[in-house]
Amino acid sequence: MRSGDHARLFDGYAPLSGTYDELFDAEGRPRPHVLRLLRNFDSLTPEGFAQRQQLAELSLYSQGVTFSVYSDKRGTEKIFPICTVPRVISAMDWSRVERGLVQRITALCTFLDDIYGEQRILAEGVVPADLVLGAKTFLPKLRWLRPPGGVRIPIAGIDLIRSPDGLFRVLEDNVRTPSGVSYVVENRLTTKRLLPSAVDDSAVRPVEQYPLHLADTLRALSPVDATETRMVVLTPGPYNSAYFEHTFLARTMGLELVEPSDLFVEDDTVFVRTTNGPERVHVIYRRIDDAYLDPEFFRPDSLLGVPGLMKAYAAGRVALVNAPGNGCADDKAVYPFVPDMIKYYLGEDPVLPQVDTYVCARPNDLSYVLENLPRLVVKAVDEAGGYGMLMGPQATAEECAEFRKRVEAEPRRYIAQHRIELSTCPTWDRAGGKVAPRRVDLRPFVLTRPGSSWVLPGGLTRVALVEGSYVVNSSQGGGSKDTWVQKEDVTS
Amino acid sequence: MISRVADHCLWFGRYLDRAESTARLLQATRSLVFDADIPVTQCWQPLVIVSGQYPSFVSERGAETAGNGEEVQRYMTWDADNTVSLARSVFAARESAKVIREVLSLETWEEVNELHLWLGSSDAQALYNENREQFYRRVRKATQLVLGLVRSTMLHDTPMSFLWLGVMLERCGQTARILDMHHHTMAREESRLIAMGTLEGSPTPPAIVRAGQSPAAPHAIVEVALWLSLLRACSGQEAFLKKHQGRVSARAVMSFLLFDRQFPRSLRYCLASVRKLLDDIWPGRPPDAALNGPTARVEALGAWLDRRARVFAPDEIHQLLTHVVDETALVCAGVGKDIAGPARTEAPAQKASSAQIQ
Repeated sequence: MRSGDHARLFDGYAPLSGTYDELFDAEGRPRPHVLRLLRNFDSLTPEGFAQRQQLAELSLYSQGVTFSVYSDKRGTEKIFPICTVPRVISAMDWSRVERGLVQRITALCTFLDDIYGEQRILAEGVVPADLVLGAKTFLPKLRWLRPPGGVRIPIAGIDLIRSPDGLFRVLEDNVRTPSGVSYVVENRLTTKRLLPSAVDDSAVRPVEQYPLHLADTLRALSPVDATETRMVVLTPGPYNSAYFEHTFLARTMGLELVEPSDLFVEDDTVFVRTTNGPERVHVIYRRIDDAYLDPEFFRPDSLLGVPGLMKAYAAGRVALVNAPGNGCADDKAVYPFVPDMIKYYLGEDPVLPQVDTYVCARPNDLSYVLENLPRLVVKAVDEAGGYGMLMGPQATAEECAEFRKRVEAEPRRYIAQHRIELSTCPTWDRAGGKVAPRRVDLRPFVLTRPGSSWVLPGGLTRVALVEGSYVVNSSQGGGSKDTWVQKEDVTS
Repeated sequence: MISRVADHCLWFGRYLDRAESTARLLQATRSLVFDADIPVTQCWQPLVIVSGQYPSFVSERGAETAGNGEEVQRYMTWDADNTVSLARSVFAARESAKVIREVLSLETWEEVNELHLWLGSSDAQALYNENREQFYRRVRKATQLVLGLVRSTMLHDTPMSFLWLGVMLERCGQTARILDMHHHTMAREESRLIAMGTLEGSPTPPAIVRAGQSPAAPHAIVEVALWLSLLRACSGQEAFLKKHQGRVSARAVMSFLLFDRQFPRSLRYCLASVRKLLDDIWPGRPPDAALNGPTARVEALGAWLDRRARVFAPDEIHQLLTHVVDETALVCAGVGKDIAGPARTEAPAQKASSAQIQ
């Protein structure tokens, strides 16, 4: 503390060496685009900030912005902790991200059309055929079926990280049912309440219009005229961990939230049970995994889902968003080939680099991975949420040995990457009562309708709240931050 | 609207109004203990009886406990096994609110959620222990605020009609139960007044007993406290006094809570509202008795109540209330059935109210 002055929030903040920090440069000087933001924190002491932080969390509880914890059916609910120091992305950085995302989604959409059609990319050996056709997520029964509306990935969430060179890289694609967008909007509401003048000063682009864009995107896929279209959001129910988001989307789009038992199919047409009898449904934004959509199609032993739904879909009578069968495009084993897809389909170089990946299904890669296990991050291709992975550099010898057996037994299930020093952002450290560098990622959201894609200017910044941690998932001690994308470059 | 959602709207309304009503009843009974010269046991025991929980209460805690105000309050406020306790009602209302989250306005949801979170907090426990009156007040205010927000921030369309249908059906039951609490005393006062010649034995229009002037004054004043307590338990004291210019009697109070057309918790008013809401939800349904649906049942019950109003015999109050409670339950069951919508296919029927506790 300086004499005669109060301690300021960012006093003594030091970025980690060898790591890119979102707000400060390597010498600890604020980056030019965040000067205006930091000025808003000038008068704030750590104590004052702690108080505001607590208020923000309280208001999330009372608004019920929570996720349910699976293990507890009595409804234990947790908030996804928000750190109210925002992450700011300059207009210039963002324009590159935007271009890169649209390019990537265009390639992935084309890839899925190809895989469920002629399979040219496999025939020409650009992507190994057995890798795609052998994946559980590939649904051969859907081959030659064109989805109503013609777009297979209307909603995508692409996970980006920022490497020490300051470049955004793609870490993972989510083209099935990406979640988290409700927190983007809710976090903005929170920071607007807490830092109104900073939001204004920093020329932040709004994110609140996402639900309206989403509704327009869904409508564009309807098999009938827009004015006659009835759209619904399909949820597994209140015990699902993302239930808050399902209600959020339904509420902010003004759509009805339905559970599978509310729907039934007759003559390849989907109906919802209403107090006035059955009424037709044309577009379903489903937040249910493929496997639980339709027991007739996926698993006859299951009681979940809407029997006959896939037949209605195949008949072109209902749009399902996203399209079933997309899992073979965001499979972690397919990920290493996305740059090749971009070149193959679009004849362009990828705008966004990604992380070099070893595919254990390839013998050479496998032997490298097994030899270098303690230096690598190994991930199961069919798991998510930070589960089924080995963080080599932080693992014990036993953990490595145990994982080695798993990889040897089923090489197809694993990929490996060198650990990237994820960028950090100043984050409130409750225990230390100060702001400290914590690792972050970014999940932007892309909406695509026939002929055009739109990138939400912002996204979900997840932050590993635990010191030294690289895992940002909400289920594993992660929190989130409001992400500010600037309208123009603001440098003074 | 979606059948499952309609069902939860209805139950949301019911649970919410039940929570308020329970808080109000506990509050009114507390003050009755101070105001009236009635044995404490006779203040609290009827409350457990009309809640429908008497047998299980007695089997767990013994019959004498039913006269213990603290025990009864704890049971009716916090007990997790008591399906009509305040805490259970608020929990259930909030569970329903979660299901109909996209139907409720943000303000409405937040208020319900905050009430739920508060009830589970140590703050609520502390307030309960330190200032019981304030505790009940706070619960009541929160539930009243929710219903106010429903009216002022939501679309006045079918979901809201279902919600208010739940509220009104619940109120019918609550008002009937509250009236029934002290029906023995009511009948007693009637017969005493008849014996003293103050009242004729024959049915008369709602009579006014001049409590302060009649020879029965010493008793009547004790019991005036009881009647006022019933009115307070229905938020009706001021409304009643306005209509009767301060003259309180068992018969007048009963008539008011049963038949008044303008008091929003009288049985007649609640049934008329139910009738109207059913019309809003399913317009143009003939109230034909042969159809036996909820619309027809409410219509018939309303007409029956009109006839009873003309020839009201207070000593039959218990039978009258029992009939109303039974019929209301049937109306509610009928609504539950109709919510599933007219059948059109052989698709398996929707299980409508699996989540409900009562």
